[in-house]
Formats: sequence, structure tokens, C-alpha cells
Amino acid sequence: MSILSKMLKKKHQRRQSDNYRQILDPLKPDDLPIDRDVQMNIKHLQEEMGNSSDLVIRQIKIGQIGGALAYIDGLVDGKGISDYILESFTETKQISEESDLFQFVMDKIVAVGSIRTIRNWNALFDALLSGCTVIFLNGYSKALSGETRGGDRRPIQEPSQQLSIRGPKDAFNETLRTNTALIRRRIKSPNLWVETMKIGTITQTDVAILYVKGIANEEIIQEVRDRLHRINIDSIIDSGYVEQSIEDQTFTSFPTTYHTERPDVVASQLVEGRIAIVVDGSPFVLTVPAVFVQFFQAPDDYYSRFDLSTGIRVLRIIAFFIALIGPSLYIAATTFHQEMIPTTLAIAIAAQRENVPFPAFVEALVMEVTFEILREAGLRLPRAVGQAVSIVGALVIGQAAVQANIVSPMMVIVVSITAIANFSTPVFAMAISVRLLRFVLMALAAFTGFYGIMIGLMIMAIHLCSLRSFGVPYMAPLAPFNTENQQDVFIRFPIWAFKNRPQFISKGNTVRTGSNQKPAPPSQNVKESQNSEGKKS
Amino acid sequence: MKNLFACVLLLLSTVTLLSGCWDQQELTDLAFVMAMGVDKGKKEKFDVSLQVVVPASVASGQNGGGGQGSPVIVYKSSGNNLTEASRRAAKQIPRSIYYAHTKIFVISEELAKDGILDLLDALDRDAVFRTTTFVTIAKGGRAEDFIATLTNLDKIPVQKFIKTLQATERMLGENIKVSIDDILANLIDPGKEPVISAFRLTGNSKKGTTPQSVVTTKPPALVTADGLAVFKGGKLAGWLTGNEAKGAVWVMKKMQGTDINFNWEGKKDAVSTIPFISKTKISLVTKNGKPSMNVLIETSFKLSEINVPYEVTNSMSMDVIEKKTAEQIKKDVERSIHKAQSLKADIFGFGDYVHRVNPNIWKKMKGDWNAQFAKMEIHVKVDAHYRSAGKRNNPFWNDLKQ
Repeated sequence: MSILSKMLKKKHQRRQSDNYRQILDPLKPDDLPIDRDVQMNIKHLQEEMGNSSDLVIRQIKIGQIGGALAYIDGLVDGKGISDYILESFTETKQISEESDLFQFVMDKIVAVGSIRTIRNWNALFDALLSGCTVIFLNGYSKALSGETRGGDRRPIQEPSQQLSIRGPKDAFNETLRTNTALIRRRIKSPNLWVETMKIGTITQTDVAILYVKGIANEEIIQEVRDRLHRINIDSIIDSGYVEQSIEDQTFTSFPTTYHTERPDVVASQLVEGRIAIVVDGSPFVLTVPAVFVQFFQAPDDYYSRFDLSTGIRVLRIIAFFIALIGPSLYIAATTFHQEMIPTTLAIAIAAQRENVPFPAFVEALVMEVTFEILREAGLRLPRAVGQAVSIVGALVIGQAAVQANIVSPMMVIVVSITAIANFSTPVFAMAISVRLLRFVLMALAAFTGFYGIMIGLMIMAIHLCSLRSFGVPYMAPLAPFNTENQQDVFIRFPIWAFKNRPQFISKGNTVRTGSNQKPAPPSQNVKESQNSEGKKS
Repeated sequence: MKNLFACVLLLLSTVTLLSGCWDQQELTDLAFVMAMGVDKGKKEKFDVSLQVVVPASVASGQNGGGGQGSPVIVYKSSGNNLTEASRRAAKQIPRSIYYAHTKIFVISEELAKDGILDLLDALDRDAVFRTTTFVTIAKGGRAEDFIATLTNLDKIPVQKFIKTLQATERMLGENIKVSIDDILANLIDPGKEPVISAFRLTGNSKKGTTPQSVVTTKPPALVTADGLAVFKGGKLAGWLTGNEAKGAVWVMKKMQGTDINFNWEGKKDAVSTIPFISKTKISLVTKNGKPSMNVLIETSFKLSEINVPYEVTNSMSMDVIEKKTAEQIKKDVERSIHKAQSLKADIFGFGDYVHRVNPNIWKKMKGDWNAQFAKMEIHVKVDAHYRSAGKRNNPFWNDLKQ
């Protein structure tokens, strides 16, 4: 006990001393002001970037005054630069003498949407490297940056991971701006606020926090901000980096943040009061806080009618348990609890296992591991080879292994059902967590049968109840139980019955629907009112 | 500090390995006992025979379609009590004997006459043996021959027992399923005596044990259901057969379906009806301090067969059929009650009923309840209701030119 508390104390102290981003990147150049001389600036720029070949510098002249224009090739919209910046520079012949040249260029020449004045090198590099065009003018110790972001990007495509039958077909891509736009297109409210920051001392990745002001819990927003500011690593390549740097608990196999590639899912979660974290360069947007039941809610649940959705969701929960304890049930039943198998089946399994030399646990382990290898290989293999592997896999698992008496046909069935059930979890992060826990439960089942499975499940339940996601209990609204938020747990209530937002997330503003939203044929109402009127008269 | 913590964790995790899997058994290490038979022993008290299934020859499929060799093997051993006998059987059986799937417990008639009390505690106490196992009496033969008889409808002989039992219970109403639990409950109940379904082996029992017997259309030996055995004081007291057994099942409120046949204008068993819903009510009447029982049976029946010209569509004429059916049922029931009374064994649980509705009388009668039961007046009333004529109304006999 004392060891544990000491460890916790240490951790706490470490956190306290860790002031946000105190340690600066040693590779980052000192913050120098921009020189008055254009040639000096160009030289400095080239030196700093080591004469990188994608740095484009073009000398210009306005009237008598020389200048230079710099941008990174590939990050900018080339046509925009030539149309709106270069062309106006070349066409401008007359400059009124009295006006300030810098101001003149800014106001009249550079015809792009966003334009900024930059005074020092750090800001200049930030602008340049995120796709702006920088303009130096001789005699001015400042520079102009014009928004010319562009270049080749992946277009908006259909989601590749989280598919749905009905519902929007667009998915996020790798560009932060496109992603925030996709969200904003769905929530046309000025209350949708976007906060941006740069994380990663070298990568300088743009990270945006999105939330609906007034719905999202301010405390949680602040917590997200704090945790993001606390990140002090060199690179953010994908939203997974952010996820792992801000989650509440590292030592758990359960995901405590939700990620999706679907803008419709993010929009609906924002309206529920959640906070989205968009990371530039990642097509997966994080949403927090995430709760356990959320991972069983597929977007289709809300697009089809409630009765069907409820049935399918219950099916999904059953599939979750099959994927979790399928093989362990088989092991436990065949090695400890033979009396629980119906007689005919017990004899059939015994007959199948007659020539199998391994105990059930080893048999199950061999099959599961083989399957996992095939699955992993299937992910990584080039598409052309993938087909061949799946054929080999099917033959090895399905036929040869059985004929060679390495495994029994029943085991093949168990493994296949487990594998298929595993794919029915809508979010990959939860599915993969189940994959891992399955092996633990298999070992427990092999040692102590159903007793072990029960202990495993209980430990899992206790662990799940101990988890928090940004302060919100992970098992909410089941534990702590909240009667008013059960509309979207096991049974998906009709849309008009979603009266409240999840109270464990948003505080205060939780009413979603007006009263009397239940649809009814109008004629009936008229008739009823007529009847009552008739009675009155 | 961290290392210490890790060490402790590592040590703790090895504990799970040390404990091993002491009661772990692979399916292939088990000998599934499907049926257990007990005979009166020659040298020792019991001769026990165990029918053990051979999984590979039962399950069809991968290895050459199965069916090679006998689906079951019968092992025999003896002992002065059940445990001794079944543990001795381990000498012959290469796997550990597993009783959890035992479906049938067969007691030979000879042993049943001596008493079955010595068998029951072992079955009741063992954690693996199910007390829901059905018990049957091998009428006129040895239990060993019963469980060694192969059948061709179901590969495992036991399945045949169970299905015969269930089928006659539903179709004929001459048997009831009795489990070890039921027997124990009825034995210790002063107001009720146990009955056990009986089976009889017909044909050549020697030939019935060879696999050849299952590849013929006319099996040389068959196990057939044959009424109920009445027990008194843990000993076989007598038999109820055919319609007597039916009558007893009516009173025991276990009737699921049967057939009632009666003569019509001199033609023997010309009419057949099938009761399909039945309800039995028992009531106690005390007249001048002398108790008597009323048994009221209400049943709905279908017309199954009518081999004489008859106006089935006329409700008046169907009243006659109703009356005849009721009479026939009443006859069966009265016969079985008389039989039970003559055996002085209250198999119907009337004593229980008296205990429930009138504990004061019961206190007086409890001492010699079976004698009281034998003397008691029991009135039977049957209401039969005609419900359906089947697919046809009037029989073709009506249109047949005489």
C-alpha cells in the first residue's frame, strides 16, 4: 500500500513541476527580428532552411523598391500566387508617393483573403511552413504573409473504416481545415467554437478543439485545453499521438477517447456536449469524454427506425460477449463442466477430439493465434497478395488443420464465430481491446473453468467502473446509474423521445426536444377535438 | 521500490500456475455413462452394469462416417453398495467414469422386490450424478440385458429409452417420467407412494446385443414400455398395466394424451376418441366424520375413428359419444383405484391432499394411512367434452350402400 501511495505522490509532484512547454526545442532558432535588407533576409532564410529545394524565392520590384516573395512549393496554391500576388505586382506601375509602401502592398496589391504582418523569424517560419506566402520589402523590418494554402490533398472520400448503410457518405481527410469545415457544415451555429493550437516541438502540428459553446461543459473544455497544452513531445503524426498523450489511464485496454472518421458522428456528439479534437494530418477526429456504451452505438442506429436499431444494438452487445468469452466458454465447458453440454453434443465433441493430441486450451490457443496472425497479415499485405493469403488461411484453418487432427471441427466453428462476432463492434479500438482480453480469459478458463471466467469478468467490470474519461465515469449512465439517460444505452428510444442530453457530460443546458414531439396523424387529432367539441355542445 | 513491487506481482502471478488444474478433465478422458443398471448380485449385494458410450462410433462425420463398432459398451462389476461397485468398474474402463450425462437408472424387478432403499443415498449424495435421472424398472428380466440391447432408431440405446418414455407419456398415457428426486420425495412422504415406469424386454436378449441387430428391419430384441410399478415401503408391491396404468395417470394429473376405445352396436372398439386436454380435481368430503374422496376429471377429446354409420354433425348424437368416452375413462380410473387400494398403496397422493385441506383428520389417519386409503370410498366423475371431428364430418360409412 505504502509503495503505491509513494509512487502516486511522486507522479503528482512531477506533474506539478511540469510547467507547460517550458523546455524549448533546442533545434528551434532564436527569435530574431526581421532585417530591413531584403537580401539579408533571403540569405538568412536560405541558411535556416539549408537551401531546401522546395523553398521558392522570387525577387520582385515595386517601383524602385526591391522585394522578395517566398513560399514552399507544394504547400501553396500556385495558381493563386500567380493570379493574385505576382500578377498584381507586375501590373502595378504607379505608386502614390505619399503613402507608406508597406501599407500600399498590403491594401492594394496582395489580393488574398487573410493577410498578416510578421515581425520576427519564428512567426515567419510558422507562416511559411504552413503554406503562406511571405513577402519582404526593402527597408521594412517586417514581412507580409498571405494565406495561399493549397497543393495536392486527398479529396473527401467515403469512409473506409466506419461504414454505414444509410447516412452521409463523406469522411474526414488529412487536412484540418477541410475537417473543421465538414463539421461546421453540419452545425450552422455561431456557438460552434474552434480553438487552434500548435503541438509538437518539431512537427508544429495544428490541433483544433471544437465544441458547442453553452452545451459543452466548461470544466471539461478547460481540462482538454490543459491536457493539450501539457503535451510536450517533438512530433504529432496522427491523432493517435494526441489520444495517447491526453487519456486518463494508460494501463487499460479500453479506449477512453472516441475516434471517428465520420463528420456526422462528430457533429452529433458535439451537440450532445462532447468536445472534438481535430489533428492536422489525421483523418480520425477524437471526441471526449467517451463512455463505454458509446462504442456500441453505430451511426446507422440513428438513421433507421428505433425498433430495428434496438434489435441490432442488442445483437451487437451479444456479439461483444461472444467475441470476449466464446473460446473461453468452450475451454471451460469441455475441460471442467462437461455436464453442462447437452449429451448428444458432448459425445459429438468428444468424438471429434478423439484424435486431437492437445488439451482444449492449447487447441484453442493454436487456432486463435493462427487466426490473429492471418488477420494481421491480411491487414499489412499488398492487395494483390491478400487474396492468396486468405485462400491459404481458409484452407489451413478450415480443412487441413482438421484433417491433420491438430484441431477439432468444433474449435474451428468456435474460432470463426468469435472472429466474426468481433467485427460487429462498430469502433475498432473496442474490438481490438476485446481481442486482447479474450486471451486472458482463455487462460483463466483453462485454469479454473467458469469460475475463472467469472473472476475475469468481475475484474473487468471493476476495472471498467474505475475508469474515467475526462472526469466522466466510463460506465455512465450505467454506473453511476442515471434513469434519464437510458434512452440510448441498450434500447435506442425514438428520436423524439431523446428529451435530454447526457447529463454526465453537459451540465445545465440539457433539454433537446420540445414537448409533444411524438408524431401522430393529424386527422385523428382533428377528429378527437371535434368529438370533444361535439360533446361539449 | 519499483523492483520490489514488480517482484511481488511476478510471484503472485506464478501462484495461479502452481495451483494447476486439479479437476480439469479433457472430454476424451471421460467415459460417459449413459445408463446404469442394477441387478441383484450373485455373490455380493449388487451387480452393476454401466453402459458407456463410444463417441467415435456414435458421431458420424469426419473419420469414415462413424458407425464402425458398437456405439456403446456395457461394463459390469459388483459390490455391496453402489460406490464400491462403480469404483470397481474402473478396473475395466480405461477412462474416468463420468455420470453427469447418465439418463437412465434401471432397476431389475428382482431387486425392486427386495427393496430399492439401499440404492438411493449414493445417487442422492453424489455431486456428479443427476437426481433428475429417470428411473425405470426392468420388468421380468435383468437390468443388464436391458442396457445392453441395441436399437436402430437411435444410436445410443438410452436415447431410445427416453424417447419411448416421452412418446408413451404423450400418446398413450401409460407411463410417467419418474426421476430419482421424485422417488425420494414420494418415499419420505407418508401421504404418497412412489410409482416407477416399467419396461419389458421382448425377443431374444442375446441377439439384441450384437451390432447386427441394428442393421435389420425387424430387431430381434426390443425394449417396450409396460405400465407402472407400484412401490410400498421401498419395495415393489405390484403392477399397473394397460388401462389400469392409464387410469392411474389420469388421477395423478399427468395425463397428456391417450386414446379411448369403445364398442358400438356390437362392433368391438368401433369408436376411438383422443382426449387432448385434461384436468383432474380431487376433493375431500367428510360425512359423519368419515372422509371420502371425489375425483373429477374434465377432458376435451377429438374424434379419431368411427367405424359405423353415424351423424357426427348432429350435436345430440355426439352427446352419446361424450357419455361413452366419459364412461370408459371412469372405468379405467376406477379399476386403477381399486388396484391401488388392493395393494394398499396410495400412489395418487390422496394422503397429501387430505393433509393439505384438513390437517385435523390427517393427524388421526396418518398412522395407518395406507390401510385407511384401502377402505376409503372414492367417487369418480368424468366430464368429457367433444371438441373436434378431425378433417372429416360424417364418416364414409353413412354413404356406403348397405
